[in-house]
Amino acid sequence: MFYFLVRRTLWAVALFIAATVITYLIFYIIPADPAKLACGRACTQQDVDRVRHFLHLDQPVWRQYLRFLWRLVYHQDLGRSFVNQQSVNQIVAGGAPVTASLVFGGAVFWLLLSIPAGIYSALKPRSIADRASMTFVLFGISAHPVWIGLILGYLVGFRLGWTPIAGYCDFFSPSFGSSCGGPVQWAYHMVLPWLTFMVLFAALYVRLIRANVMETLSEDYVRTARAKGASEPRVMVQHVMRNSMLPVVTILGMDIGLALGGAIFTESIFSLPGLGRRVIQAYNNNDLPVIVGIVVFSTIAIILFNLIVDLLYAFLDPRIRLS
Amino acid sequence: MRKKFVLPAVLAAIGALLLVASAYASTGSSSGVAGKVAKKGGTLKVNVSNGDFTFSDPGLAYDTLSWSMLYTTQMLLVNFPEKPGQAGGQLYPEAATAFPVVSKDGKTYAFTIRPGLKFSDGSPVTAAAFQRAIERNLSPKMGSPVGVNVQVQKLIIGGEDFLAGKTQKISGVSAKGLKLTIKLTKPNPTFVSIMGMQWFGAVKPDTPYSTAGLNTTPSAGPYTIKSRDAGRNLVEVRNPYYKGTRPANPDQIVWTVNTDSDQSLLQVKAGQADIDASQPPAAQYAALGDQFGLNKKQFFVGPTSCILYYALNTSRAPFNSLAVRKAANWALDRPALLRLSGKYSGSRSDQVLVPGVPGYKRYDIYAIKGADVAKAKKVAGKPLSGTVTVFHSTSASQTARAQVIEYNLKQIGFDTKDRPVPGGLYYKTLGTKGADFDVAYAGWCADFFDPFDYINVNLDGRSIQDANNVNFAYLNSAKLNAAMDKAASLSGAARATAYQKLDLTIMRDYAPWVSYNNLNSVYFVAPRVSNFIYSAYFTSPDYNALAVG
Repeated sequence: MFYFLVRRTLWAVALFIAATVITYLIFYIIPADPAKLACGRACTQQDVDRVRHFLHLDQPVWRQYLRFLWRLVYHQDLGRSFVNQQSVNQIVAGGAPVTASLVFGGAVFWLLLSIPAGIYSALKPRSIADRASMTFVLFGISAHPVWIGLILGYLVGFRLGWTPIAGYCDFFSPSFGSSCGGPVQWAYHMVLPWLTFMVLFAALYVRLIRANVMETLSEDYVRTARAKGASEPRVMVQHVMRNSMLPVVTILGMDIGLALGGAIFTESIFSLPGLGRRVIQAYNNNDLPVIVGIVVFSTIAIILFNLIVDLLYAFLDPRIRLS
Repeated sequence: MRKKFVLPAVLAAIGALLLVASAYASTGSSSGVAGKVAKKGGTLKVNVSNGDFTFSDPGLAYDTLSWSMLYTTQMLLVNFPEKPGQAGGQLYPEAATAFPVVSKDGKTYAFTIRPGLKFSDGSPVTAAAFQRAIERNLSPKMGSPVGVNVQVQKLIIGGEDFLAGKTQKISGVSAKGLKLTIKLTKPNPTFVSIMGMQWFGAVKPDTPYSTAGLNTTPSAGPYTIKSRDAGRNLVEVRNPYYKGTRPANPDQIVWTVNTDSDQSLLQVKAGQADIDASQPPAAQYAALGDQFGLNKKQFFVGPTSCILYYALNTSRAPFNSLAVRKAANWALDRPALLRLSGKYSGSRSDQVLVPGVPGYKRYDIYAIKGADVAKAKKVAGKPLSGTVTVFHSTSASQTARAQVIEYNLKQIGFDTKDRPVPGGLYYKTLGTKGADFDVAYAGWCADFFDPFDYINVNLDGRSIQDANNVNFAYLNSAKLNAAMDKAASLSGAARATAYQKLDLTIMRDYAPWVSYNNLNSVYFVAPRVSNFIYSAYFTSPDYNALAVG
């Protein structure tokens, strides 16, 4: 287990370096002159040259990258926004909890829906409930989250008035002037974003779980367990679910890691000040440090969650650990 | 609307301002329109869709959103009153007891600050507060581009040395108690108007320099910024020490930034928000107008100081020919371009100046009612051919407009090449000398109501540099430059008349633009909101006057 852990961690580090190299090249080398972007609109060429030197953009690319990596790893510093000089660390730190609220809350919702629905569909294939759940799957996969969000906002938030149409409340210590705050208001404001997230992801997970459970149900060891007289709940929990959930754990880890980089559409529609919203704002302003900072954070989140999934997988399935 | 990068060092007639000022010397009460007393109290909830304040520091902020917010917190030497219509665009002495005393040579301005004024922390406002504002605007330690943009460093004695870091103080600015004296390098009839910009509001004399800008700092206007969480919200509360006459109706103003415009509209309709500072989606204008009526209680349309146009690149063929530029002015379909912005979005134009600016007179010399292809071909004088590069941003609205003008240009014989550029790079690319375009979308909103800010700033060829230009037509005519200089040197009625003629001359004899839209601002407010006073200068309501109590 120790060697497995070391091997996976080293892979994660290598992946991190590869991802930051690509990110750095894409955002700093390819599109435009960062010195001009950082300098502002009224700069003379002299000013731009001064900024270029200040940002070390007059140095070779490999040295620029090493400086970027050193600052990131040693100082944990993602730099400052070109637009308003705000610390990117602060931007990420401010947006990450909001995005995490959306992602983890949404994950709870979609798992609560998709696990029973997927299992039931697998147990009763071609039943009315199965066809209904497959229709939901088709709808969820086809509908764009922006559309889902707008419709939910209009129907539930505006017409029925059951929830806020948009906005966010802090879970802890709401900022001055916030009209709301605390766990209840936080959850109340997150209901629609969670539902939007749920519709999108639950559709994928219902299909995945249904297929896995159906496949597992036909395995020899399930038949053997039943032949040995094991009760149906025991067969389902001990043999079917444990095995059919393995791919779900993998996908869940990847999805959560990916979504933590910013659930752009959902955050935009519900005005959630998370990372996705901030990255869109940064994109519109060509604010490269902010974009790079959020991409790097997203990369770290994906790598971290993949690592967690790998370790969890090894715990759930000893064959992986041994291989 | 686009921000401005370069401003003139010249402007409006002080004599006219003085006359107007007398009418507004005691302006600004909490009375609303038509004398109704506005309700006080409550929290005004303002959404800002798809945007945020770049800075809330008056030394760095330079966009209409930030300025409309800072207007509620700032105390200026001279300011605009919370009055509807043209009255709202006339300066009055706010922190100053009167308009400045100007020396005979026109180079020394002496302001006297009203006694008893206080910042939101209780400290007194003295002349040093305004001296510090000028210093923060020009200090190399701030890195503020704004003062440099308006050439304030060249305007005030010692400004250039201060900007270069050679001196710790600006020699031309002195503050003693309540007396502020500013010495200029040469007479400038626009100086008082420049002091009416938000950069020059009172700041505490010990306010530090900061390249990142200060999110909160004591202010002397009706409100003060209590907190700012960039990317999320900004909260203003009343300045407890403000004893002036300007309205401060809501107890607090909460700005929630980066909202979604469609959801924001629903929030305003449902009363979950009071107004969207970024205006409702253009596609909803007509429906809102039909449902709520125009300028009655909830749906408001007001003119702005902005002109939208297509710049014709005069530095290369085919638009280095006046005849071809005139042909384009006849060929482009202004009503079609306007329709793409939605009902109420503006009014057609074919000139540089906009209504409300001294000297404006409607001319209608080109195809104001729609494209006239036959006339265009006729004025061209020869068959037109070749490829025209149409430059526009990648936004959906700009792309749609580009399709219209490409169709129009094809009608008169040109082939077209579409060149979309991402919004964030658009003006930087367009403002680089030698940029590859023939026709380019652009817009301009005034920093202050003077024709200089439209004509000289945008069309004086001597300002063309390697990068960061605003003369997007790259027009440089010695004769026209001289005429602009002459108009800028005048004041009062003579100045207005000169610019009126210049506006006609430019469009008739140079035709560097195809102007098409005098932009409107459109606002929709929640049912509980009252006392909506629109400011054409800020292109927004006066937020401190809105009542929600």
